[in-house]
Amino acid sequence: MKAVFISYNQSLTEMVQLTLDNLAIKGYTQWTDIKGCGTDKGEPHEGSHTWPELNNAHLTIIEDEKVTRLLERLNALNTEVEKQGLRAFVWNIENTI
Amino acid sequence: MSLYSTAVKKPVSTIMIFIGVVILGLYSYFQLPVDFFPKMDPPYISVITFYSGANAADVEQNITRKLEDSFGSLTNLKNMTSTSKDNISVVMLEFEWGANLDEATNEVRDAVGLAERSLPDEVESPTIFKISTSMIPVLMFSITSDESYAGIKDILDDRLIQPLNRIEGVGNIIQMGAPTRAIMVDVDPRKLDAYNLTVEQISGILTANNLNLPSGNLEMGKSDLALRLQGEFENSDVVKNIIISNFNGKTVYLKDVATVHDGLKDVKSYERSNGEKSVRVMIQKQSDANTVTVANKVKESLVDIKKTLPPDIKIETLFDTSINTTESINNLSETLIYALIFVVVVVLFFLGRWRATFIVSLSIPISLIAGFIYMYLSGGTINLITLSSLSIAIGMVVDDSIVVLENITKKLERGGFARESAIYGTNEVSLAVIASTLTIVAVFLPLTMLGGMTGILFKPLGWVVTITIATSVIVSLTLVPMLASKILRTKSPDKKTIGGKIYWFSQDLLEKMDNIYEKSLSWAVGNRWTVIIIATVIFISSLFLINVVGTEFMPASDNDQISAQVKLAQGTKLDETILTAQYLDSVFINKYPEIEIISTSAGSGDENSLAAIFSETGNYIINYTFKMKPRDEREKDIFQIANEMRKDIEVRPEIEKYYVDAGSSRSSGGMGMGGGSVLEVKVFGNDFDETNILSEKIAQALNNIEGTKDVIVSRDREKTELQLILDNEKMTSFGLNTATVATAIRNRINGVTATKYKEDGNEYDVIVRYDEKFRQSTEDIENISITTPQGKIIKLGEITKLKSFYSPPNIERENKVRVVTVSSALSGSDLGTVKASLEEEIAKMDIPNSVSIEFGGSVEDMQESFGSLIMLILLSLVLVYIVMASQFESLTEPFIIMFSIPFALTGVLITLYIFNSTINIISLIGIVMLIGIVVKNGIVLVDYTNLLADKGYSLKQAVIAAGRSRLRPVLMTSLTTILAMIPMIASTGSGSEMWKPMGIAIFGGLTFSTLVTLLLIPTIYTIFGVGKINRARKKALNN
Repeated sequence: MKAVFISYNQSLTEMVQLTLDNLAIKGYTQWTDIKGCGTDKGEPHEGSHTWPELNNAHLTIIEDEKVTRLLERLNALNTEVEKQGLRAFVWNIENTI
Repeated sequence: MSLYSTAVKKPVSTIMIFIGVVILGLYSYFQLPVDFFPKMDPPYISVITFYSGANAADVEQNITRKLEDSFGSLTNLKNMTSTSKDNISVVMLEFEWGANLDEATNEVRDAVGLAERSLPDEVESPTIFKISTSMIPVLMFSITSDESYAGIKDILDDRLIQPLNRIEGVGNIIQMGAPTRAIMVDVDPRKLDAYNLTVEQISGILTANNLNLPSGNLEMGKSDLALRLQGEFENSDVVKNIIISNFNGKTVYLKDVATVHDGLKDVKSYERSNGEKSVRVMIQKQSDANTVTVANKVKESLVDIKKTLPPDIKIETLFDTSINTTESINNLSETLIYALIFVVVVVLFFLGRWRATFIVSLSIPISLIAGFIYMYLSGGTINLITLSSLSIAIGMVVDDSIVVLENITKKLERGGFARESAIYGTNEVSLAVIASTLTIVAVFLPLTMLGGMTGILFKPLGWVVTITIATSVIVSLTLVPMLASKILRTKSPDKKTIGGKIYWFSQDLLEKMDNIYEKSLSWAVGNRWTVIIIATVIFISSLFLINVVGTEFMPASDNDQISAQVKLAQGTKLDETILTAQYLDSVFINKYPEIEIISTSAGSGDENSLAAIFSETGNYIINYTFKMKPRDEREKDIFQIANEMRKDIEVRPEIEKYYVDAGSSRSSGGMGMGGGSVLEVKVFGNDFDETNILSEKIAQALNNIEGTKDVIVSRDREKTELQLILDNEKMTSFGLNTATVATAIRNRINGVTATKYKEDGNEYDVIVRYDEKFRQSTEDIENISITTPQGKIIKLGEITKLKSFYSPPNIERENKVRVVTVSSALSGSDLGTVKASLEEEIAKMDIPNSVSIEFGGSVEDMQESFGSLIMLILLSLVLVYIVMASQFESLTEPFIIMFSIPFALTGVLITLYIFNSTINIISLIGIVMLIGIVVKNGIVLVDYTNLLADKGYSLKQAVIAAGRSRLRPVLMTSLTTILAMIPMIASTGSGSEMWKPMGIAIFGGLTFSTLVTLLLIPTIYTIFGVGKINRARKKALNN
């Protein structure tokens, strides 16, 4: 099991949700209206007057074999609309209840 | 969930809600009556008292003064004026606008009740009269006839007035100038004396012989029959054969001592229409009825009525207030449609896309329709004010939608998905949109709080604009994102299609414009002090235009009407007056093809009728009403024609005073709009001679000032009266008293109405008096026979002496002090200038201590409303500052933005000068609106500059980049407003003069201030270095 954390521009919410649905990923946790800023490039998303955009984020814990497919699709989405901003991070799950 | 995300996610509900609003609006629109101005009830109450036989001075002393004293303590009383003339006293009470007139009427009634006790016994009870707009006639017909002339009064009563009276909403119908049938018994005094008879005896015999009397019941057998004596005259021929006396055994018939003829009452007036004998019929409406509806109904039923009238009777419309209203409203509606087209074209040019233009343009009809719903719910009408509010709003309602759509497009172009881009794109700008709308509301909402007459005019304007703008915000936050998510496309259009060609053409042009602007802006920022000095010089030098551009109260407008009054010398006989009238009639008819109908009336008609109170009539006065052809069918405007008419009147030596009143503003007592301004100077003082001399001097001075026309002194020259002075001793020795002598004289000269002759249900007076040839000279008067109680006949000459006497014909008072008003119409100059030059002249005059001078008329109105408008401007400035300061959370930035306001003033003055217009309440309202409109540009610019500065641009970079990026939105929103004004300025139809100054002011002010804003505001921004300060402050906060 791996955890995938996806942080993305709010404008992509539906597409991200659609990607998860398509891969039959049912479980997730979502945060809405959160701030964020990229490390290398991209504008800050701060919800302020200067930087009005905001992010949403998904955290989903999935089987290892789905991870690659998910990242591929997310990457495709990100390449299509690069200016919007989307990042995903994966790490291991040690234990669950 | 926020408003916009709900709207985007529920497109069906959103569309349905707006369709509902549109349907409701259309329903309201079709229910709304049309009117010229918002309903206003003038706060005037007049108290009219008749005192037969008293001259002006008596009336003033015994009635007017006493009434005035009792009115002093009325609540809300603003002004009290009075006129005392022969037989009649009129006290006019003016209350504060908006005062409760019902309460006021009650108070007036109480005060009259108190005063009545101290009035002379012979005085009729004072009549309290509420003046309302319903008294301004809706329609006036001029009716000409040949054979039917003698009986026209009854024909009209039965067949025209009665059916018209049944129409809903029709109030009074007044017939003027109709000849009245009467049976005249003209006695020969010598024959009367010979038969030992008197006028009174003859009158008594006539009364006694014209009688129907129930005489009781007769019980006959089983029946009970009513007994009736039928003695009334069967026809008018009977009268002359009545036996009046027995003299030496011979029967004396009435025809032996008098000539009896069934004819028309002495014609005391001259009524002509286009030179033909005419009768005028004036139709008033009930106070809550709508002018246009009533006029239309009357005109409809007139078609049927005409069929029942004898063929020689012709009815022509002398004036029809509804035509002016309908035409002005149609004109303005046309203007509105052109404005809509202009706005759509501008949006299309800047956006270059059909779909975007469609979405933005949709906010126009929806917002305007919301305006109609407001009008309907508030019981208002479609009138010049509400419609012009819409044409002002039309250019502004798209602004918010443009901002929202632009942001959504930006997101879409960056690859966002339709729904999210719509929701988040709207979210990002929603606050900015609401804030910039608040600045507009901050200007228009205070308009709804104005008091007085300006308040009544501009309250609806304030509400309508506020409501349409508020609706446009709602549309931009709901419908626009919803539609954008559904139909907006971001793909660059294909160059081959028409849409594509437009897109690329406009984008190329705009690109070039952006580049040019960027270069000029960099220069300006580099040479900021030069820019600021140039701007200051332009502003200050433009202020000198204030003196060149004149000031007036209301713009003069061509309403197809001219009225004129010509006065001959006091005491001129009606016949002489008629000669002059006929001469002038023929001159006017032949010389001015522009005249459609000319209606002439001279003579006093019924002196004691209410109509006599509102128009000045007399045997030496000729009143004219001209109806001109519609403005587009003639070359000259009413002011030119009036000027030429003055020359025609001037050449007649017998004419003492005259005025030609283009637009009839004098005769409507200032209640009607249109026409030019009237300057009034009031000379207060109780001494007749002092005030007469001074008012003549002022009149002279006014005559010498350029631009004054028709200078008139309100107090007529003193008139000659013949006074009979009784020798009391002799009179008493004959057993007579003043009352019997006075009645006897009156009966012989004026006549006594002995009885009424009845025919077909109508009653006609039977009047007995001396034959005309026995009442023509002073000798005839002295020869009047009076029978003493002893039966002896004496001549009036034995007990009286005749003396000529001078008396003032009318005494006017204002707030209990006698006043003479010197008035002048203006043409070719403006109120402000003439007033200033007159003040100079007056300063040179030697004014007695007991006399004081005040300005009135349009000057008074102007000062009052200018005062409240300037207060309004200050209030708006403060409110706009408050809104901006809280929006920017800064005290300096709103200050920078407000630098665009003085240049709006510069622009207004320059364009007013170019278009030869004036500063008046309409253009001032334009300036008030400009405060809200012009700062919008500054807000957009400064806001974006701040943003870029925050994003890390250097001050200069931020200013230039923000300028380039915001050039299009600023130009687009300004151009929509500016171009929406052009149809208003270009319109030449009826009523257009009224609103032109506002169009001109907004057009000029916004154009100039936009250009200045684009260069000056960024320059000042760099000087204040606000961006820097801000960033420093932020950094400090973060650390």
